Amino acid sequence: MRVIATLLDAILGAIVVSLITQIIVPELFEISVPMWIGAGLLAAWLVVSQLRNASIGGLFLGLAPKATPSAIRANLGWLAFSVAIVSGWIITEIAPLEFFSADGLQGAGRIFRDLFSPEMGVVGEALNLMVETIFTALMATVVAVPLSFVLSFPAARNVMSDTTTKKSVYLGLRALLNIMRSMEPIIWAIIFSVWVGLGPFAGMLALVVHTVASLTKQYSEQIEDVDEGPIEAISATGATKLQVLWFAIVPQCVIPFLSFTIYRWDINVRMATIIGFVGGGGIGSKLIQYQNKGDYNEVGTYVILITLVVWILDVISARVREALR
Amino acid sequence: MPLLSVRNLSHTYSNGYKALHNISFDVEAGEFLVIIGLSGSGKSTLLRCLNRLIEPSEGQIILNGTDVTHISDAALRRHRASIGMIFQHFNLIPRHTVMSNVLYGTLGVTPTAGSIMGKFTQEQRARAMSALEVVGIPDKAQNRADALSGGQQQRVAIARALMQEPSLLLADEPVASLDPATSHSVMSYLEKINKDMGTTVICNLHFLSLVRQYASRVIALKGGHLVFNGQPHDITDEWFTTIYGEDAVEVEIR
Repeated sequence: MRVIATLLDAILGAIVVSLITQIIVPELFEISVPMWIGAGLLAAWLVVSQLRNASIGGLFLGLAPKATPSAIRANLGWLAFSVAIVSGWIITEIAPLEFFSADGLQGAGRIFRDLFSPEMGVVGEALNLMVETIFTALMATVVAVPLSFVLSFPAARNVMSDTTTKKSVYLGLRALLNIMRSMEPIIWAIIFSVWVGLGPFAGMLALVVHTVASLTKQYSEQIEDVDEGPIEAISATGATKLQVLWFAIVPQCVIPFLSFTIYRWDINVRMATIIGFVGGGGIGSKLIQYQNKGDYNEVGTYVILITLVVWILDVISARVREALR
Repeated sequence: MPLLSVRNLSHTYSNGYKALHNISFDVEAGEFLVIIGLSGSGKSTLLRCLNRLIEPSEGQIILNGTDVTHISDAALRRHRASIGMIFQHFNLIPRHTVMSNVLYGTLGVTPTAGSIMGKFTQEQRARAMSALEVVGIPDKAQNRADALSGGQQQRVAIARALMQEPSLLLADEPVASLDPATSHSVMSYLEKINKDMGTTVICNLHFLSLVRQYASRVIALKGGHLVFNGQPHDITDEWFTTIYGEDAVEVEIR
């Protein structure tokens, strides 16, 4: 019985998988690797369904009582997962042969050779641009911090929960910040490079927008996390709302705020290098030019410098944040 | 005229739970009134209704002849400023000095902008110092508040309340997070303030032995109802069972 049930499962599974994948990606049957992957996952699905006594094939043979609803759901889950992996393989154009092809390996060898024999003549220029990038990130952080600080209070649920008006301001602000944050800084950089012209100022503005959105979220979550006790105590002295914010909430948040801010500057330096690719100034703007010209020795110099600076900043910011705790 | 009059006070939480049912009692100036009852009986809610940290749903709270249940924001702040309050978990501002914490007792009468700039007057600083002398820790003035022991933190909280020069002092389980020896120390400071300065005290307590020692009058809550109002020595075994339930056994703190 069990063998027949498994066989039925296999046929059923194969039909379902091929039908669904054919709808999503009709090329399925022209490529053999994903077929094997699909078959493997299908086999796994079968094993699992057998182990869990929830074989769909078994259902047809009258073994229904063994198939509990949760086991069937798990079965269907495995089926969906198999379909996702097979489709994903094709959509991503995964091609293992190309990874190991002689041509490919030769190209990889060439680029690595160039990257690791950096052109020392551009070090001075790269350092200058790196300074520009670091300061772009610093200015973006410095401009964003007061804005985020002010916005974080209306973006905190516990501060805004007492009236309906406040609740709607809170919800509106949260939605706006979410939209601002879902747009990557690189998109903002494109917008601002048109608005204020190419250069570090456009990059800084792009980072300001993203930093305000991110820091406000982190700050406001910290505010939502504060101990209510001091708020009660300060309110009980007859303090105004503003005094309660300043004397009961802010002291509990200062250290985490500082920590978030330092980490954000660190992130901003990394983002500032990338933003240069689309006209945000700094080291990225020159790096993308060398890459386009195929000057991989120069690219190597830049990449090594960026890696070094990012690494050093990462260590410093981690140390400082550790000391703040 | 009583200092404080609570009339038909009820409170229902936004989730529909009715914490207080039609509570009425008076407090005369100079009393040391203790509120007892099980956890969840409504003691803390009642205390917080008195300075409107919790908004009463129904009823009136009359302090010095003035109904404070429907007053402007500014008047509410003046009302709160005239009532000191201390808490089970002390509720000091961590990382700030003891001195700053005591000065925060004056926030209700200090203009917002000035206070944020840290502009406290010499007179206020001098009063903060003498408040710390009252509770016996003037030497801790420049220490960080969160570096102090529990008992010391509660004494800072009492000093903060004294800065308000309150006619009424509310104490919500002031010794519930302290060990027995420290409990008596804190309670004796409250007694001193009650006796020497004439400040009326309303205090929530758990331990009947403390109640017998410090209270001039006791009220008891059960399930949000006021079930007892009398002298500490009137709490017989029968009353004890009524208030705390059949299974309760009295635990002493000496």
